[in-house]
Amino acid sequence: MSQSDDDRRTAFEQEALPHLDAVYRVALRLSGDPSQAEDLSQETMLKAFRSWHQYKPGTNARAWLLTILRHTFINQYRRTKHHKATVDVTAVEHYTVFPDVQDADPEGTFFDQIVDEEIYQAIDALPNEFRETVVLSDVEGLSYAEIAEITGVPVGTVKSRLYRGRQLLQKRLYDYAVEMGYLKKAPQ
Amino acid sequence: MSANLQPLDCQGALDRLYEYLDGELTPDIEQAVRSHLDACARCFALFNFEDGFLKFLEARTRAQGAPPELKRRILRSIFEDESAPES
Repeated sequence: MSQSDDDRRTAFEQEALPHLDAVYRVALRLSGDPSQAEDLSQETMLKAFRSWHQYKPGTNARAWLLTILRHTFINQYRRTKHHKATVDVTAVEHYTVFPDVQDADPEGTFFDQIVDEEIYQAIDALPNEFRETVVLSDVEGLSYAEIAEITGVPVGTVKSRLYRGRQLLQKRLYDYAVEMGYLKKAPQ
Repeated sequence: MSANLQPLDCQGALDRLYEYLDGELTPDIEQAVRSHLDACARCFALFNFEDGFLKFLEARTRAQGAPPELKRRILRSIFEDESAPES
């Protein structure tokens, strides 16, 4: 092994590998399947290692890795992925949930009773564009600019996808909470 | 930028809901939203609810990490990787 190979591995372990958790989490939500998520993560990290010379040290390694992940996912998985039942996005109205809970539970404490599995299912049920935007923002905490760079759309598109994605997610979790009896449905 | 310091009405504040909660506004517009929330109990309650929702999502989804075996697998594949760097 040459000195430069050694350096490359060391730099990669120090700068890229700490973001494996983020890569895996996003892979899991993009693919909706743990074993696919592992394969996607491994492939992403190996691709990143092989193109490590393209990474500028000190820049945003996480965003760089997530961009590679997204391309890998789109190229290999999305086309073959079973098409999920899509939500009617035109049905999203402004602030669908708050008016229904403002009297009974204005702080939204009912959310706390929802189990993790249901939260993941609700995220996984979002249409692709909304799901990736919500995951990058709310699960990974990336800025609008970072999300725009990773997903290749203008910041304005990130904003509208985030708005609709969050409202869809919130509505689904609210409906689930009502169904489970965590709170009473507001009288119409 | 004095035009941005115009007081915001409810719609003006609501239009910036998530940008405000995500810390994506410029300081002067952020201040304008905050002033509106100080004066409007209804918008304050909605912003508070949405803020709670985002914190709930973060708290419940961000803890999940990669399986330890995956990290070992990746380290092994990198260590064994003989391919020349892609150009």
